[in-house]
Amino acid sequence: MQRSKLGQIGIYTAVIVTVVLLLFPIYWMTITALSPANQLRSFPPVFFPEEPQWGVFSELLATQPFALWLKNTILIAVATMILALSVSILAAYALSRYRLRGGATIGMFILTSKMLPATLLVIPFFAIFKQMGLVGSLWSVVITQSTLIVPFCTWMLKGYFDTIPEELEHAALVDGCSPFATIFRIVLPVAAPGLAATALYAFVISWSDFLFARTFLQTSESQWTLNMGIAALKGEYITDWNVIMAASLMASIPILLVFLVLERFLVGGLASGAEK
Amino acid sequence: MATVEFNHIKKSYGSVEAIRDFNLSVDDGDFCVFVGPSGCGKSTALKMLAGLEATTSGTIQIGGRDVTELGPGNRDIAMVFQNYALYPHMTVRKNIGFGLKMRGMPGNEINAKVEDAAKILELTNYLDRKPKALSGGQRQRVALGRAIVREPSAFLMDEPLSNLDAKLRVQTRAEIVNLQKRLGVTTIYVTHDQTEALTMASKIVVMRDGMIQQIGTSHELFTHPRNIFVAGFIGSPGMNFFRGPVELDAGQPVTRFGGHLVRLPAATAALAGTDAVFGIRPEHIQLTTSPINVGLRLVESLGTEKILHFQIPKGQSLTNTEADFGPDDQDRDVQSMLIRVIDDHIYQEGQSVSLLFPQDKIHVFDPATHAAIG
Ligand SMILES: Nc1ncnc2c1ncn2[C@@H]1O[C@H](COP(=O)(O)OP(=O)(O)OP(=O)(O)O)[C@@H](O)[C@H]1O
Ligand SMILES: [Mg+2]
Repeated sequence: MQRSKLGQIGIYTAVIVTVVLLLFPIYWMTITALSPANQLRSFPPVFFPEEPQWGVFSELLATQPFALWLKNTILIAVATMILALSVSILAAYALSRYRLRGGATIGMFILTSKMLPATLLVIPFFAIFKQMGLVGSLWSVVITQSTLIVPFCTWMLKGYFDTIPEELEHAALVDGCSPFATIFRIVLPVAAPGLAATALYAFVISWSDFLFARTFLQTSESQWTLNMGIAALKGEYITDWNVIMAASLMASIPILLVFLVLERFLVGGLASGAEK
Repeated sequence: MATVEFNHIKKSYGSVEAIRDFNLSVDDGDFCVFVGPSGCGKSTALKMLAGLEATTSGTIQIGGRDVTELGPGNRDIAMVFQNYALYPHMTVRKNIGFGLKMRGMPGNEINAKVEDAAKILELTNYLDRKPKALSGGQRQRVALGRAIVREPSAFLMDEPLSNLDAKLRVQTRAEIVNLQKRLGVTTIYVTHDQTEALTMASKIVVMRDGMIQQIGTSHELFTHPRNIFVAGFIGSPGMNFFRGPVELDAGQPVTRFGGHLVRLPAATAALAGTDAVFGIRPEHIQLTTSPINVGLRLVESLGTEKILHFQIPKGQSLTNTEADFGPDDQDRDVQSMLIRVIDDHIYQEGQSVSLLFPQDKIHVFDPATHAAIG
C-alpha cells in the first residue's frame, strides 16, 4: 500500500515534469506574441505581459495573406498524405503478406532512401521539376515530400499489418470477399490505429516542410506556404518577434485539430478480440 | 449439402512435401474428422479444400463440381478457424451477416437469417456487441453462427475447440455434433485430439507425414487398425506392442512372452518361423491366474480406473523410432506395457500380478512394413 502510493507520486511527478517541458515552448511562444515589442528582451524576463497585445493577430491577418498561405499548406499536406498513404498501404500489404523473394531485403532497402539527407536531393529534384514545368506548382512539394515519406510509412504500416492474423483475411475470402476488398473491408479498419498514426506522420512532416517549398516555390508568391510566409516576416534590420510568434501559433492550430480528429483512432486497441 | 472428393492431391512447399497422394471421398451429410499428430498436414489439406491454399497437383470436387481452380468465395463452403477469426471492428450481427452481405442479399433478409442463427446458438442478447466484449465460448459460437447462416454445402472446421477450457470443450463438442445432425451439412473437421475424433466423427481419416494411414469409423479404427501407427495413436492409452517369434504348438500358432507361451489368433499360423510385432490394448489384458507373472513398476490411479505399468521382457520391446506416434505422445515408454483396469482393488508398486493376453484380442503386425497381418 505504502509503496504503491509512493510509486503513484513518482509517476505523477514524472508526468508533470514531462508536460511542463513539452508545453514550455508553446507557453513562451504565446507570451512572446502577446508582449509589446519593447518588452521582448527585458531582463529579468516577463512571465506574463501586463497588457496582452491581442491586436497582434488581427494586425497579422490584415497585413499578410495568411489565409492564402494556410490554404496552400493545407493543400500540400492533405495531398501528400493521400498520395503517400495510397502508395504505402499497397506496398506495405505486399511486403507483409506475400512471401517475396528477398522481401526482407527490399524492406530494408526502401528504408535506406530515408538516410539520404534531403538537401542532397533538392538540386536534382529542382532540375527534374524545371524540365517538367513543375517549379512554382504545389505539386512539386507534394511529390518530393511523398517520395521521402513513403518508405517510412510503408515500414510503419507493414508493422501494423504483420500483427493482423492471416485467418481474418481467410475468413473474409471464404465469406465471399475479393482479395482486393479484404484490404478495404478488413485489413484497413482493423489497422485503423496504425493508419491514423501513419497519416498523422505524413501530415505533420509535409506541414512543417520548409526546404522544398522554399526551393521550388520561392518565385511564385501565390503558392507560398505558412512556413515561407513566416520566414519572410523576418526583416533584414528589424524583426518583430511578437508577429512571428503569433503567426507560428496560428500555424500550429491546424495540426492540433488534425490530432484531435485522429486521436480516437490512435488510441484504439481494435485488433484485440479477433482471436480466441 | 454435397459430397467432397480429393483425387490424388499433392502439396509441396519448396522441397517440403506437406501432402502426398491424398485420396478421400466424403459422403453427403458425413461428419469427417482429420486426425493426426502436429505437422501431419491436416490444416494444409483443409485449406486446399477451402481454396485458401493452391494444390500442387490433383483435383478437388465439392458436390460433384470440380472446384480445384475456384477461389474460396466460389466454393460454397463455410469455415470455422482455430482462433475464430472474428472481424474485430464489426458487431456480432455484422460478423454473422458479412458472408450474406458479400453475396448481395438484401439487408432485411440478412437480418432475419442472422436472428435465426443467433437464436439457435443462444447469441440473441449479444448481437450488438463487438467480439472484444465476449467470452471465449461466445466467440466460438459467433464463429459457428457465421458458418451456419450461409447454409453452405460444406462446413470446414480447423481445431475449433482447442482454445476452450476442458469442460466447455466437451459441452461444445456435443453441441456441434447435434447442430451438424440437425442441419445435415457435410462437415470436415480437423483435430489432433483423438477423443474429439472418436466421439464426433462418422468417418475418421488418420494422417501422418502428409499421408492417409487409415479411413474408417471409430469402431473400425479401434478393432482393425491397419498398421502400428494407427494402433498406437488411437486409444488412450494407445495399444501396447512387443515383438516375438511365431511358433507352432500342437499345430496352433503361439509366441513367447518372457519365455511363457501366448496363444495367437489362428490366422497367424502361416507366419510360423518368422518374427512379428504383437499388439494388445491396455483394457484387454486380463488379470487372472496365468503363468505370466510381472512386477508393477508404476501404478497411476484415477479413482476406480487404474493404469498399471510393467516391464516388457528383455529384447522384446520396440525401438523409439518404431513406436513414434508424434509429439503428442512423447511420454510413451517403449520398455513398458500398460494395463487399464476398472475395479476396487488396490495395487501397489512392486507388487507382482499374473496376466492373460486373450487370444482374440491380439493384433499381429509385420515388423518391416508395420502393416497389420490377418
Ligand atoms: N507456408 C508454409 N511453408 C512451408 N511449409 C509449410 C507451410 N505451411 C505448412 N507447412 C508445413 O507443412 C506441414 C503440414 O502443416 P499443417 O499446418 O498442415 O500441419 P497440421 O497437421 O495442421 O499441424 P497442427 O496440428 O500443428 O496444426 C508441416 O510440416 C509444416 O511445417
Ligand atoms: Mg493445423
